Amino acid sequence: MKILIVEDNERVAGFVTRGLREAGHTVEHAANGRDGMFMAASERYDVVVMDRMLPGDIDGLAIIEALRKSGNRTPILILSALNDVDERIRGLRSGGDDYLTKPFALGELLARVDALGRRSVDRGAERALQVGDLRMDLLSRRVTRGSRAINLQPREFKLLEYLMRHANQVVTRTMLLEAVWDYNFDPQTNVVDVHISKLRQKIEHDSEQPLVKTVRNAGYMMCEHD
Amino acid sequence: MTRLIRSAAVTWALGYVLLGLAALGVFAVVLWYAWNVTIFAVREEVLRDDAQRLTELFNREGVAGLTAYLNTRVGMQIAGERTLLLTDGAHRRLAGNIAAWPQGVPDDPGAHAVAVDIAGRPTHMMLVRTTLPGGYQLLVGRDLALFRPLERLFMWGLLAAVTFLFVFGVAGAILMRRQLLARVDGIRQTVSAIMQGDLRRRLSTGKTGGELDTLSQTLNGMLDHIEHLIRGISNVSNSVAHDLRTPLAELRSRLEELALARPPPPETFAEIDAAVADLDRVMRIFSALLRLAEIDSGARRSGFVRVDAAAVAAEVVEFYEPAAEQKGIAFSFRTDGVAAVAGDPVLLAQAVSNLIDNSLKSVSERGAISVRVGRRADGAVEIAVADDGPGIADADKPRATERFFRGDTSRATPGVGLGLSIVDAIAKLHGGVLQLLDNHPGLLAQMILPVSAAR
Repeated sequence: MKILIVEDNERVAGFVTRGLREAGHTVEHAANGRDGMFMAASERYDVVVMDRMLPGDIDGLAIIEALRKSGNRTPILILSALNDVDERIRGLRSGGDDYLTKPFALGELLARVDALGRRSVDRGAERALQVGDLRMDLLSRRVTRGSRAINLQPREFKLLEYLMRHANQVVTRTMLLEAVWDYNFDPQTNVVDVHISKLRQKIEHDSEQPLVKTVRNAGYMMCEHD
Repeated sequence: MTRLIRSAAVTWALGYVLLGLAALGVFAVVLWYAWNVTIFAVREEVLRDDAQRLTELFNREGVAGLTAYLNTRVGMQIAGERTLLLTDGAHRRLAGNIAAWPQGVPDDPGAHAVAVDIAGRPTHMMLVRTTLPGGYQLLVGRDLALFRPLERLFMWGLLAAVTFLFVFGVAGAILMRRQLLARVDGIRQTVSAIMQGDLRRRLSTGKTGGELDTLSQTLNGMLDHIEHLIRGISNVSNSVAHDLRTPLAELRSRLEELALARPPPPETFAEIDAAVADLDRVMRIFSALLRLAEIDSGARRSGFVRVDAAAVAAEVVEFYEPAAEQKGIAFSFRTDGVAAVAGDPVLLAQAVSNLIDNSLKSVSERGAISVRVGRRADGAVEIAVADDGPGIADADKPRATERFFRGDTSRATPGVGLGLSIVDAIAKLHGGVLQLLDNHPGLLAQMILPVSAAR
């Protein structure tokens, strides 16, 4: 994917750029609001990573608002040191698609950028999701693995749906907490892991190939092959 | 002088003096008017009666009779009380107690209040002039100067009242100002002492329950709150220094050792992972503190909506269920139905989550945790989380919600010591309280939220 980073802090920008390049993305960097605005408006990117507070006269949220007003729909991930709920809401209302608080783990950033990039590709109204022989019918809300029917609780269904929609991408525990449970606080205990392991027990019987992979220091990934 | 006038007490007192003077003025004017009109009318009537009687005498007995009568009457009359004069048509005196027809008597008959000239002396008189048959002229009058002493007395009385009012008004103003100033000065001194850092000072309050006492009590309440907050802040900064310094020191020594020893790559990477874990712990404390500050600021109140606390708790319970199951803990949830409160759903969820999380950490395998949401008799919503773990020692309970406080029973469990502080802050934000009780054995944590929350 082609990614634009608008970030004034050299070290953070360098770290993010290296990380994204290693993950196979093409990365361009703007060190201030004016350049960022110009680049985001004149070129096509798959994802823009935007620092919330930039030096000079244009701040991150203003750029996002301007882009949205001009009809630019590029997914934008906001980076911010402000973690108030209000700030988060303001960021998302200005037109940002996701919000990540500094400091962050590189894995978290990569996972979220991936999720945003993928979202811009397929946003069709799918009727079913499929990973390997695991199939989820979104209309009848039935899940099957091969010929075996799997019975899921509503929340487990939501969790599996999220994992399948982001198949072959890393999803972090925080992303799951926000998307599946709508919690934006830190539950301290490894509750998400327990939910995943319960889900695994239901969709991966002994003889079957594992589908949910644990990614060290990042989160989980649903994929067909190891 | 301007300083004196600017004082509120003096302004008020002077205002009342002016008001008193105005009232006195109105009273005096009315009285003066009533006096003049009534006395004037009565006097005129008396004079007319007199003139009438004399006219009747003239008609009965003629000029000679009236002259004789007048002479007799003048002879025995107390001088000056009545002015009488009978003249012929050419104003020549026939009888009476003045020597000649005075200058300035109006020509038309009837009563007149006029200044006339009697024997060269100007006199203010009330006169009734009657023309008798045959052109004879009769004057019956009274010197108005006779009433002067009474009028003068009235004026003196008025002046005395005004002086009295003014003197006592001003004296009262000065006295009031001095008293008020003394109290206000006391308040000012205390406040400036507090501003200079002596937070323990309080305003003195009397027992009279006057306005100033009420004000002082309210201010003292505010000072208590400020002192509590400041102490809270200094506690936090001490705790932050301690709790962040420990993991930061570990991190530092880990990195330093790594730089010195330069171990082989696998070990280096393990050390780096451990360093990142140290850092994550610092970040976690940091976010919890920021969250606490956000809640304490009360800013979240603006986002309050009607929330069903039972539904919120049910979701959190569902969230933790697998974790409890994994530990073999009996996890139960009970509710009497909808328990609506005005609140922030995310914060309420976090509060319940923190309580359950605490219990999960402290309860041993195969223990029990029960969550209950219900209404109390007074309508308040109660969210209770009970467990059969080690609980909190009675001595520690009052301090359990303090930031970074960790009792003996919880020291070994993971966590940063901010969980209950956050629950407590959330309960307070919703106008409620967090109570930590004994569950015999274990902990019973109750969040009690009033229905009309948010104030």
